[in-house]
Amino acid sequence: MTTQITSAPVAVEPRKGARRRPEASSAARVGRPGFLWALPATVFFALFAIAPLIMVAVLSFMSWNGLGSPEFVGLDNWSRLADDPVMLKSVWLTLLLTALGVVIQTPLSILLGVWAAGHQRNRAVLSVVYFIPLLLSATAVSVLWRALLDPNFGIPARATWLFGDGNLFGEQATAIGVLAFVSTWQFTPFHTLIYQGAARAIPQVLYQAAEIDGAGRYRQFFHITLPQLRNSVVTSMILMIVGGLTTFETVLILTQGGPGTDTTISAYYMYQKAFKGFDFGAGAAIALALVIAATIVSLIVVRVSGYDKMRSDMEGVS
Amino acid sequence: MKTRVRLPRLLACGATVALALSLTACGNGDGGGSSGDGKIHVLVYGDASNKVEKQIVDKFNKTSDVKAVLDTIPGADYQQKLQTIINTPQAPDVFFNWGGGSIQPFVKADLLMPLDDFIEKDPGLKANFLPSVFNSAVVDGKSYGVPMRGTQPILLFHNKQVLDKAGVKPPKTWDELLDAVKKLKDEGVTPISLGGGDRWPTLMWFEYLYDRVAGPELFEKALKGDKDAWASADSKKALSMLKELVDAGAFGKNYDSVKYTNGSSPALLASGKAGFELMGSWYYAQQQEDAKEFAETDLGYTAFPTVQGGKGDPTNVVGNTNNFYSVLKKTKHPEAVAEFLKLMYSDEFVKAQMAIGNLPTTTSTRKFLDTAADPEYSRFQYDLVAKAPSFQLSWDQAYPPSAITPIQQAVQQFFNGQLDADGFIKAMQALPTE
Repeated sequence: MTTQITSAPVAVEPRKGARRRPEASSAARVGRPGFLWALPATVFFALFAIAPLIMVAVLSFMSWNGLGSPEFVGLDNWSRLADDPVMLKSVWLTLLLTALGVVIQTPLSILLGVWAAGHQRNRAVLSVVYFIPLLLSATAVSVLWRALLDPNFGIPARATWLFGDGNLFGEQATAIGVLAFVSTWQFTPFHTLIYQGAARAIPQVLYQAAEIDGAGRYRQFFHITLPQLRNSVVTSMILMIVGGLTTFETVLILTQGGPGTDTTISAYYMYQKAFKGFDFGAGAAIALALVIAATIVSLIVVRVSGYDKMRSDMEGVS
Repeated sequence: MKTRVRLPRLLACGATVALALSLTACGNGDGGGSSGDGKIHVLVYGDASNKVEKQIVDKFNKTSDVKAVLDTIPGADYQQKLQTIINTPQAPDVFFNWGGGSIQPFVKADLLMPLDDFIEKDPGLKANFLPSVFNSAVVDGKSYGVPMRGTQPILLFHNKQVLDKAGVKPPKTWDELLDAVKKLKDEGVTPISLGGGDRWPTLMWFEYLYDRVAGPELFEKALKGDKDAWASADSKKALSMLKELVDAGAFGKNYDSVKYTNGSSPALLASGKAGFELMGSWYYAQQQEDAKEFAETDLGYTAFPTVQGGKGDPTNVVGNTNNFYSVLKKTKHPEAVAEFLKLMYSDEFVKAQMAIGNLPTTTSTRKFLDTAADPEYSRFQYDLVAKAPSFQLSWDQAYPPSAITPIQQAVQQFFNGQLDADGFIKAMQALPTE
């Protein structure tokens, strides 16, 4: 960005070769982003992300209950985790919940986003209403749904034909279903917002041309809208995946990892180990494993989707 | 939204750990302590009981040169926050705890002062408290805590109206309880309300039944690391009785979706949808607040039923014996702390606690029972605790903190059938005991 702006005047008025060189180099010295420009961000990033990450990595090789000095135990925490059935289960559950989130939320938010991108007044009003869950904290949302889904005094008591005995939090399948539902309820609006913005940015001429060619609404959607939203799909999916891998509050409040360990996802397991069991070494190992997993998954999504090539979405160019 | 917040937060959690790590590394051997300023800091769990604690601190400060400062930590994070600061220069001189396993890591880390010297100088520091309560803050034969606040035995509460309608009397024996379950079920109500979503209410059933069937010795052995205790015949008998109760439909089918902490399981009892609920003595005050009318006319309470042929004394009690004040070894004013602790058995303290509904565990409490908010209820509780040969501290508090989650998971899984008796026994044998 900055490079373009500062170099632009130089490029526009090339008069005499003799004067160009010093001008360009002085502009470079003054305007080009050097290392110094990145220094504040680098310092903050190092201080608040890299340094703690390194410390967590170190801690994962130690045994520490929060009192006294940590003791170096080598790979003990890691080998314990590798043999821990709950850890393996938690990884599986985390992936399952993440996948559920992506599979449910992506189509839903594309449809809603494209719909909300229209310009009628009622859509604008409805969109605003619809975005309200986004304003609530995950904690508030979870407390709210826990109360609404109470088997004796909540919705299940009134709709026994649908909920049976209402034991939603007492069985694995339904407990996972509730978790997926609540995060869908809360985060679909956010992804809808992304798609709404992206859909509005699609040039109208494409639709006009399609209409002249006789394409109906469905063909327009599948052949123009959806391809044009490709980069937004990738962005939204990465957010969903990384968000899914680090989900925490909903589990903490809705199920506490239960019944048994049936909804104990990795992030919650880390919290249990470190802050309830005071086994900070094991907690650090889980945290580090999560960071590594999230990074790998993000990289895969970026690579597979071709997002890193930054192909243009402009009309006529592909 | 989600991602932007979450990942950094995860890192920040790690950072907190890491930073705390570096802090303690620097702070070791320093022994500074907050008491360098001529004050003693008293750290307590922040809630309604702080009213009395403030009163006591004010009284203490009137006569003492070393002034006491009351610090409160609100909310359920007390134990976590305490553990974070206890080894730093911000550590208090005196702090609130649950005795048993909750202070065991601190004792092990050599942070706490045994109170035996204090007791030698003033035997009243021990003699004025009920022994069954005082003993739950004894670790390795040394006293580490003085009781404060009130005792919280677990009682079997019931809805008088619901029981009358089903022709059921409050059960005195286990068989009567099973019979009551059947009759209540026929009436179409959930026999026993259970906040299984919170898990610790489920644990209460285990604590009582094990005590009645095997006596307190089984758990004491298990706590000391004797894994055979869990596999004993008594243990298996207790489990089979629990299984029988669950299978009889005593708790209905959706108890794991019900919580105590959001008022759902108490509401079942108050609204007449359930007959019984097993809960700590604080339940009474809870119902007074949530369902005043019900609490005043229809809320009944009894001790846990006896078990025929059980080895445990039928008058044994389980629950939270009381909360305790423990003292940090590095306090600069041990004399002032000793004086402060003496206030815990003063008449003024006892009266002030009773006025807010707490039941202190001093031997003098009996004298003041008539001044309690509800004398009848206080008397019932006091007699129960005073006569009890053993007062078993809740399992998840008797064990060290790292065992809390595995215990709660195991009891939940046994109730919902994910674990059979052998699976439960195995889970309990795997618990860390230190």
